[in-house]
Amino acid sequence: MKSLKKEFPLHIMLIPGVIVTLIYAYGPMAGLVMAFQQFEPLSGFFKSDFVGLDNFRYVFNLPDFKQVLWNTLLIAVIKMVLSLLVPLILALLLNEITKKWFSGFVQSAIFLPFFLSWTVLGGVIIELFSLNGPINGLISSIGLEPIMFMLDNSWFRGIVIGSDVWKGMGYNMIIMLAAITGINGTLYEAAEVDGAGKWKQMLNITLPGIAPIIILLSVLGLGGILNAGFEQILIMYNPTVYAGADIIDTFVYRLGMFSQQFGPAAAVGLFKSIISLFMVSTTYYAAYKFNNYRIF
Amino acid sequence: MKKMRPWKMMLAVTMILSLLSACGSKGNENANAPSTPKEEPTNSATNTATAPDPLGKYPETVTVTEVLAFNPPEDPRTPSGITPEQNAYLKDLKEMMNIEVKYKWTVPSAQYEQKFSLAMASGDLPDVIEVDQKNYEKLKKQGMLADLTEAYAQYASPALKAYMESDGGFAMKTFSEDGKQLGIPAFEDPFLSTQILWVRQDWLNNLGLQAPKTIDELEKVAQAFTHNDPDQNGKNDTYGIALQKNLFFWGFDVRGFFNGFGAYPSVGDNQSAWIKGDDGKLIPGLIQPEVKTALGKLQSWYKDGIIDKEFALKDENKAVEDLVAGKVGISYGEWWYPNWPLNSSVDKDPKAEWIALQLPGIDGPAKSLVPKIRSNKIFVVNKKAKNPEAAIKMLNFYIEVGSKKYKDKNKAADGYVYNWFNPRIANPADIETIYTEVNKALDANQTEITVEDANYKNVYDSFKATTEYLAGDTSNATKGINWGSYFSRVAKDGGWGLTRQIKENQQFVYNEFYGLPTATIVEKGGQLDKLMQESFTKIVMGSSVDDFDKFVDSWKALGGNKIIDEVNEWYSTEATK
Repeated sequence: MKSLKKEFPLHIMLIPGVIVTLIYAYGPMAGLVMAFQQFEPLSGFFKSDFVGLDNFRYVFNLPDFKQVLWNTLLIAVIKMVLSLLVPLILALLLNEITKKWFSGFVQSAIFLPFFLSWTVLGGVIIELFSLNGPINGLISSIGLEPIMFMLDNSWFRGIVIGSDVWKGMGYNMIIMLAAITGINGTLYEAAEVDGAGKWKQMLNITLPGIAPIIILLSVLGLGGILNAGFEQILIMYNPTVYAGADIIDTFVYRLGMFSQQFGPAAAVGLFKSIISLFMVSTTYYAAYKFNNYRIF
Repeated sequence: MKKMRPWKMMLAVTMILSLLSACGSKGNENANAPSTPKEEPTNSATNTATAPDPLGKYPETVTVTEVLAFNPPEDPRTPSGITPEQNAYLKDLKEMMNIEVKYKWTVPSAQYEQKFSLAMASGDLPDVIEVDQKNYEKLKKQGMLADLTEAYAQYASPALKAYMESDGGFAMKTFSEDGKQLGIPAFEDPFLSTQILWVRQDWLNNLGLQAPKTIDELEKVAQAFTHNDPDQNGKNDTYGIALQKNLFFWGFDVRGFFNGFGAYPSVGDNQSAWIKGDDGKLIPGLIQPEVKTALGKLQSWYKDGIIDKEFALKDENKAVEDLVAGKVGISYGEWWYPNWPLNSSVDKDPKAEWIALQLPGIDGPAKSLVPKIRSNKIFVVNKKAKNPEAAIKMLNFYIEVGSKKYKDKNKAADGYVYNWFNPRIANPADIETIYTEVNKALDANQTEITVEDANYKNVYDSFKATTEYLAGDTSNATKGINWGSYFSRVAKDGGWGLTRQIKENQQFVYNEFYGLPTATIVEKGGQLDKLMQESFTKIVMGSSVDDFDKFVDSWKALGGNKIIDEVNEWYSTEATK
């Protein structure tokens, strides 16, 4: 009771945040009803006909849906793994650099692309990999045939994943660096006294020290298992690479743009949210059960 | 419980209040907006008493609500910072007719579709609305549209009626239901969509070649443009035919190329086309066997470098860049190319000279596909509007102020922004009128045009550009701009001149389907479109031409057969043949 008294003003200060969440996160959930309706904008939620699970049946029975789902999963999972692994390696390496100005510079350089939008970056990447672009310039300068990267299914997916990891790696790297800084320095001193080298220190102190952050990032990442990067792919793809790079979001986008099918689009959204909820809950539970680790 | 510290209390209260007031003001706005039309409940009663006069003035002010999607004013002389509410046309409308326009909201065009969907979803619609065909159909289905039959009959000015009857009343009939006129279409001459071929004449001269009449001749020309240095700069930096990633688009695409083979897959904008088969039924042009032959040819051209190797990555802007930069010498397209982008090509390279040709076909010039109706804009009136006839009067007003009487008045510098004024219908035969009137004046060696009616301004502008171009006068505009205006609208061998000949000589095929998308097109269209884009692009880039047969089978199986039935059902019951 005493603590409640002390914390009461803090609770009051929470209210605006709660209200905003209610309005913008919980309020729109009412719109999910569209997923079960033959939604007509003019009739609104109340007068549109309910069609049960027809919208879901329609989407799952689309002949391309399996291929699109597979593309989505493949691209999202590889992106997720790499965008944990690459920043982790970078953070561990940067941590060993003692020159302050140099590590600061490298950090900024790696972080920079994170702030550029895909609209800009997509164009840059298409130019970089185009037939007359610098990459093909290098390739032909060593006497090889130029490659049409953006029009070739075997290259395109790699470019999508690679560029996304490159763009986003700075963000996770900063989080991990911050976590490393939080590790108690005396541990390293003790390890050195015990004769542990840099490698052993990393394995036995740094990694376990930042494990909670890595778990947190992967749990949060799993929520996006069906988000393979809509904006990026929409800007970079073209019909010749549909087979390998058309994902759920781009597919539904074209569906919606072509025919204003709000019902099926809402159904896909709901489907993605349910999968995300399931993934986040199970990994969270697993992390708790096997590692006794809690985020919240 | 311990008393809260005053400052904490104040902070909390302010925060809550600010939230409440934020919500509150929003609520008020919404509550106010719909009440505006209700302020003048007595007007309709008084007005019905006066005799119908197309340009007459209401005794009491009539308020008409509208919404507006606006682009920046086109004329650079327009005063900066002007808002749609300050448009001088509105002031004149108030003076002439005592009609006051109130905008419920105005947004830049790019956001219009979204904003309008919201307005439709909330049922908060203005009195006079500009809609496309899809939204017209939606509003009609919901019973939101006022019957304009009587208002049109009583109030339409002779000029407006003449425009609407210029196609035999076909477009008007399309937007009426059970004898009720539900919308006034701003339609245009469908022949504006005629496909022709634009070729660099100076390159032909440099290489000693003739203008191509057949596909084989075109192939030879395009090969020469690709490999024989047509611009004589000593570099291998040119290619034959402009193309961007959408094979069937509004420009720099290959609709005309397919037409050359007697294949009619699309009317553009990714809409498939339907032609009449031998048995009188409609068949989709997309799966004609001729399409396969055309794709095969396109593939060999791609291999030869006649088409850009990376066309599948290029949008229309990239294709235009290449045209302007003098990298490519041939493009399929419509009559307006000289107006844009060929005028820039001429300004950039003074030697550049473009000619227009009828589509090359297999054994001579080929027929172009033409839609039956070309109308993307329909003006409708909300059922709840008090004065539906005000919409007709406003249409009269806009046509009236285009005439010569107003030529010194409606200047952009004085705040007249024509493309912000709605409802606005132009002469459907606008381009044809310009062509005949300017040529008439030129043939008679006149220094002034004789038109004085609503077409005055447009005819005058083209006449001025033409005389300046022919006299080599570049004091008002560059050579390219004057040439563009002349060669697109006026020249007998130019864009519209050639299109007229094609029309007169019956060198066209109609797209017979002009109805709304059928249920299956709505449901499966996205998928079928994906299938087409993917298959066609891949065939052009080198996969087996026989994949076309697989495409046809999948297309039919994925809903195409059902669409064929639905379209023919429409054709036999609803089409005006």
